[in-house]
Amino acid sequence: MTSSIAMSDILEELKAIAGESRACSSLTERCCYAADASQIRGLPDYVVRPESAGQVSRIMHLCSQHLIPVTPRGAGTGLSGGCSPVRGGVALDLSGMNHILEIDIENQQVIVEPGLVAEKLNSALRPLGFFFPPDPGSLAMCTIGGMIANNSSGMRSVKYGTVRNYVLDLEVVLADGRVIHTGRKVLKSSAGYDLTRLFVGSEGTLGIITAAGLKVAPLPAERKLVLASFSEAEIAGRAVVAVFSRGITPSACEILDRTTLQVLRMCDSNLALPAEGDVLVFEVDGTAASTTETAEKIREACLPLAEEVRIASGKEEMEAIWAARRLVGAAISKLDPSKTRIYMGEDVGVPIKQIPALIKRVQQIAAKLDIPAMKYGHIGDGNLHVALFIDIRDDEQWQKLHRAAERIHRAALELGGTVSSEHGIGLARADLLPEQAGIEAFSVMQSIKKALDPLGILNPGKMGL
Amino acid sequence: MEKRIDGEKSACSPADKQIDLSTVDQCARCGTCRAYCPVLEESGWESANARGRLMILQALEKGLPADSCVRDSLNTCTTCGICTENCPAGLNPPRLIEKGRRKLVLSGITGPEHETLASNIYQRGNTFGDPGDRLSWLRDRGLLREKAEYVYFAGCMNSYRYKETAARTFDLLRRFGVTMLPNEQCCGSPLLRTGFAAAGLMEENRRQIRQIGAHTVITGCAGCYTTLKNDYPPQFQVVSVAEFLDERISEMQKCKEQYTNQKMYQNINQNGAQNSSPVLNLRRLDLTVTYHDPCHLGRHNRIYDPPRRVIEAVCRLVEMKSSKKDARCCGGGGGVRAGYRELSLQMAKKRLLDVPEGVDYIVTSCPLCIRNLSDAGAGEKVIDLVDLVAKALLDDSNPNWPQRKKP
Repeated sequence: MTSSIAMSDILEELKAIAGESRACSSLTERCCYAADASQIRGLPDYVVRPESAGQVSRIMHLCSQHLIPVTPRGAGTGLSGGCSPVRGGVALDLSGMNHILEIDIENQQVIVEPGLVAEKLNSALRPLGFFFPPDPGSLAMCTIGGMIANNSSGMRSVKYGTVRNYVLDLEVVLADGRVIHTGRKVLKSSAGYDLTRLFVGSEGTLGIITAAGLKVAPLPAERKLVLASFSEAEIAGRAVVAVFSRGITPSACEILDRTTLQVLRMCDSNLALPAEGDVLVFEVDGTAASTTETAEKIREACLPLAEEVRIASGKEEMEAIWAARRLVGAAISKLDPSKTRIYMGEDVGVPIKQIPALIKRVQQIAAKLDIPAMKYGHIGDGNLHVALFIDIRDDEQWQKLHRAAERIHRAALELGGTVSSEHGIGLARADLLPEQAGIEAFSVMQSIKKALDPLGILNPGKMGL
Repeated sequence: MEKRIDGEKSACSPADKQIDLSTVDQCARCGTCRAYCPVLEESGWESANARGRLMILQALEKGLPADSCVRDSLNTCTTCGICTENCPAGLNPPRLIEKGRRKLVLSGITGPEHETLASNIYQRGNTFGDPGDRLSWLRDRGLLREKAEYVYFAGCMNSYRYKETAARTFDLLRRFGVTMLPNEQCCGSPLLRTGFAAAGLMEENRRQIRQIGAHTVITGCAGCYTTLKNDYPPQFQVVSVAEFLDERISEMQKCKEQYTNQKMYQNINQNGAQNSSPVLNLRRLDLTVTYHDPCHLGRHNRIYDPPRRVIEAVCRLVEMKSSKKDARCCGGGGGVRAGYRELSLQMAKKRLLDVPEGVDYIVTSCPLCIRNLSDAGAGEKVIDLVDLVAKALLDDSNPNWPQRKKP
């Protein structure tokens, strides 16, 4: 992959840029950077942990000179192989660039480095009465840079939107080492192409994000949960539509199927979740009066369809439910130690009215292939997470898993949806992007890629580009 | 002293030779451990985190050559267990990492410091290779009993480095009929944590416990505690000094409540001969202390409340910034202090940032934690729980203190 220069010389140059102790080519270390949480693997030739945009710029300059692929990475918690260095080269670990550069509450903005862990930003903002709303399940460990690169979101996106809604300005190192800013320190701007939005969700294929100016939001005074159980997931889907039809926008709207509930109870036996059925968890936030009123309205909307409805407002109880929900995806082994959760077909999204149809299709696919599936997700924005779990030493189960994932993706596309709502395309879903985007739109993406990365060294192989 | 127990390094059982990959494979690589691992926080490299280490264990099974990089990855884990506490998949990475270390040792891949540590223990029965008498702190060997139901296991650190603590602990415990092993050996913890075998030492300690006829072993070291409890065959009960003192104080308080006439109680208390049970006569100290949970006593064995109750019986307790199951590791365990001193002290310094302002002492129940926190800047501010209790003891020089057979 590299040009004629010896690999040892490249390593020396990388060490000269980042520091002796921040670049290496040991096979042991490279093994640790070969994968994220998906099944996509690729061994890098070098791992470098830069500390500044200047270093990243010099690294990109070096790599563009020698045609060395560069795969940026935050905490490596992605689910699509986005940070797996499938063409070798440099694994660029940005998790060490993790400082909050500025908190400017008067302007409702912060400037952060890409390796900052999202929860640490919220810990700093909380005493000031603010928060960064996107809240993926991996909030405690994922980095802001990774969230921007994948346009991630989470449970509260139904009300607060995705990362895209909060990025005001990015400092980006381009493929040849030039450094640009994509925006200004303003809440809105109408000035030329929206480069900020171009880089959000670009998965490291167009440039390396080295700093981000973000909008933050005031913390709501109160939150309440409404827990409703239904005899079937499809009926739960209808209840979601009924709630929205009453003009209510909850701050979160999650579905947990029976299997998910079982796993949640394994994680925390004290969780006061309904004993039976498929469960919807609505969260409302605002003032004490508004949350009481809205929670009651949700209860009324669910009652005709639900088996049981309960309003929870205890802070500890709500936190316990969310904490368990955030990590449920990886917890399946607690239910059956012989099985491992494999992230495939896990992030489909459809228009919310199609959620009941999607749930039914997923149930049929899983039943037909005889593969257990846990279904949970952000039903309020049409995003369904399907957790398929198998004995990973059984080849036949792997084949079934691949078939199930493909059929789930196909079902989402047929229902007018997307193969990824918040996890990204990476390599895991790369072959589906042209179909979802359409050939002409995909060719526009190819043109953009070529304009910004003519040598094709930035995260090559990802998104089919 | 003579060479005691040797030749264990290469001894291995069939179970040693293979890492149980079925458990390693349950790792979903979600990266939750990244949010907690104190070693990753210092190092920044993925190989210094539980997820990376499990990926290395998987790679070893698939042919990754075991070399010094693998060694440094596995051996920098303090086995603090905060990853286990938070792993959504329910994995126990320290246990798996210890198996990996065993495999490395059997392949001849060890660090020089761990080699020395193991050699010291094999040669001299203690981690320091100290040829001196393990019971040098004991003023009178005649205090040892040939037969007893309870044995105090002092451990290497207290026997050779914190002799006053060992003496104070034994002085407290012997009132309750507790004795010691006449020829205590290292419990084996440093060996087992770093991948070496410890069967010979363990058998020697077990033999002596059997000979004394004890049904319970009491220890003031978190490393000894978890090893005696979880690595030895379950032939005796294991109790921490914190639990033992907590029970005695609790009994005392119940006894006190039974006497509605306070004066009557005091009379009885002042005249031990009238009382069938020994009493810990403690005064309140005008001190405010905090408590550091040793990982191998806390997270590994869930002993959180007994040391706190003991502290609260004698003075004020304020919690550290992180405590109990969330407590930050001191950085010393798992062979890290021995093998990677600088890294270990960096972690200890972070732990000291958790100490609330204005406390008089940092109290803990593990001599290794004391050593590491002390070296990281806490100095003599960090003390053993027994040292605190000793400050509150009104009658520590009473030679006629009654002893009962059964606590």
